[in-house]
Amino acid sequence: MDNLGQLLHGFSVALSFHHIALMLVGILLGILVGVLPGLGAPNGVSLLLPLTFTMDPVAAIILLTSMYWGALFGGSTTSILFNIPGEPSSVATTFDGYPLAQKGRATEALSFAFLSAGFGALSGVIIITLLSGWVQKFALKFSSPEFFAVYFLAFCSFIGLGGAPVLKTIVSIAIGFALAAIGMDSVSGSLRLTFGFDQLLGGVSFLVVVIGLFGLGELILTIEEGLQLKGIDARVRPRDVLRAMREMPRHWATLLRSALVGCWMGITPGGPTAASFMSYGLGKRFSKFRDGYGKGEPDGIIAPETADHSAGTSAMLPMLALGIPGSATAAVMLGGLMIWGLNPGPMLFVEKPDFVWGLIASMYVGNVVAVILVLATVPLFASILRIPFAIIGPAIVVICFVGAYTVGSRPFDLWLALVFGVLGYLFKKLSYPIAPLVLAMVIGDKAEDAFRQSLIMSKGSMAIFWSNPLVTTLMVLALALLLWPLLMRGARALRSAAR
Amino acid sequence: MITRKAAEIGMAAMTALFGAVIAVGAREFGVGWSPSGPEPGTFPFYIGLIIAGASLANIAFAIARPGAGETFLARGHVKDILRFVGPMVAFVILTLLLGLYVATALYIAFAMVVQGGYGWAKAAAVAIGLPVALFFIMEKAFQVPLLKGPLEALIGL
Repeated sequence: MDNLGQLLHGFSVALSFHHIALMLVGILLGILVGVLPGLGAPNGVSLLLPLTFTMDPVAAIILLTSMYWGALFGGSTTSILFNIPGEPSSVATTFDGYPLAQKGRATEALSFAFLSAGFGALSGVIIITLLSGWVQKFALKFSSPEFFAVYFLAFCSFIGLGGAPVLKTIVSIAIGFALAAIGMDSVSGSLRLTFGFDQLLGGVSFLVVVIGLFGLGELILTIEEGLQLKGIDARVRPRDVLRAMREMPRHWATLLRSALVGCWMGITPGGPTAASFMSYGLGKRFSKFRDGYGKGEPDGIIAPETADHSAGTSAMLPMLALGIPGSATAAVMLGGLMIWGLNPGPMLFVEKPDFVWGLIASMYVGNVVAVILVLATVPLFASILRIPFAIIGPAIVVICFVGAYTVGSRPFDLWLALVFGVLGYLFKKLSYPIAPLVLAMVIGDKAEDAFRQSLIMSKGSMAIFWSNPLVTTLMVLALALLLWPLLMRGARALRSAAR
Repeated sequence: MITRKAAEIGMAAMTALFGAVIAVGAREFGVGWSPSGPEPGTFPFYIGLIIAGASLANIAFAIARPGAGETFLARGHVKDILRFVGPMVAFVILTLLLGLYVATALYIAFAMVVQGGYGWAKAAAVAIGLPVALFFIMEKAFQVPLLKGPLEALIGL
């Protein structure tokens, strides 16, 4: 088995002292941004990214992905202890996590969350290990029309499966594309849409947009909701951890179901947030523990956590193999890959096996280390949350603006971050999804290039998107996903008519 | 108080305007077919049209939707948000005038003393500690220079 050999080589790359140290730093920073309100994984990775510009790509990606794992764990911690989701993807964890913690079983609740998260993450990595060889062969058949079809598929799945209002999702995606188009046109090399502003010549950086939308926007929302921390005793008792471990096997069905949901949603870019909600919903309907859901049932923690983490990790596969990120954080990392001079896509596996397999190996190690580290540091991070908001809020604001400035050392970016902060707040309140906007910004130029090159190949005929079985399948799949909400509504109408 | 309906319509009108600006701006770069394929303005032009079209539909839905009179933002919340966003805007302006480190110190001190009700001693400790820590992390450890102002020039940093 070829993948196994590659993976072993990957371990030899990943397991150096330098890389392990970066992993630990990344995980701790990740837990920190996951715990702090306003700083989440996409935003945390955006803040750290400019500092990795000079690093070796393997070290840089290990640092950033470790931060991602840490942030996912940190987000669940605050969901359970304070009923405040540190990450949008850990909202569903509050439904049963907080009630269980209130019953005085906080350690168990945390252990269930971390252990199932670890299980979900490892299933995601195993899926990546098994599929990457296949995806790579498959992806080598791709040329411009196929690439465009895959991008199209990604956006259709957002519209069809994302759960947000369809028209608002379309607006959000299109705004992302429009922002990506500002500045240099990568096909003709000419400048466009700068409207006479020198500041727009370099384009709008997606990192600044992410810092505004996710960071500042989230903070403003926190202010409005009134941050109240009703602390629960956050000491971790080893006895309770062991008890949770013993109980885990009883939830095998939920673990497997949720891991499948997560991997599916991570690879077809539905993202971790949608995955965790979907998995919770499925559990509530099909689990044998469903009666306790909402009242502090461990199964109700395991379902969203497993799906959240398996979606988070498996989102790396389409990012590496096709250059399509499966989540907002993966989108930011994809941008990082391009900045480090790597070209995400099928050739990456051929040209940079050290990078790809080093990353995959580090994901195995990183997630196991993260589970241990997060259990050990929960009390410390919970105490950070007790710092009053009058101090921590402005400090986070400063960090966000520092991050926005380090992207390109442009004062103009500070204003951009501010504008997108307010916009992010309004988008969230009016249920416009923001992850698709970021995705469209990162892959906007690539999608446009693929579209234009396809049309150049076909001399302007759209028929090229139906010219061979592969591209036709992708387009049909995309259209089916696009029309999914309509199909579901039709099916429901038929069912109620039959009744 | 702002109603949900007004907020929906306001937002959709803003996105519609953005779409229109993009579409009009894109026309300048050609939206048709040239010997080297689609012209640079084509893609943004249609994107702009999609934004504008979907936004107009959003406006229509917001008007037609029953029960859209619910509160979007209560008066008390508006005040809370302004109390947070106001100093944030001031911080950006101060950063551009005085540099990031001085602005940070002033911003943190203001937030802690005026809004958080802390004593001057505590506020000063945090307000000086944070920029100093930032300086050593960013400029010394990562060698990333941040925006500096007249004070830094004065002490020769």
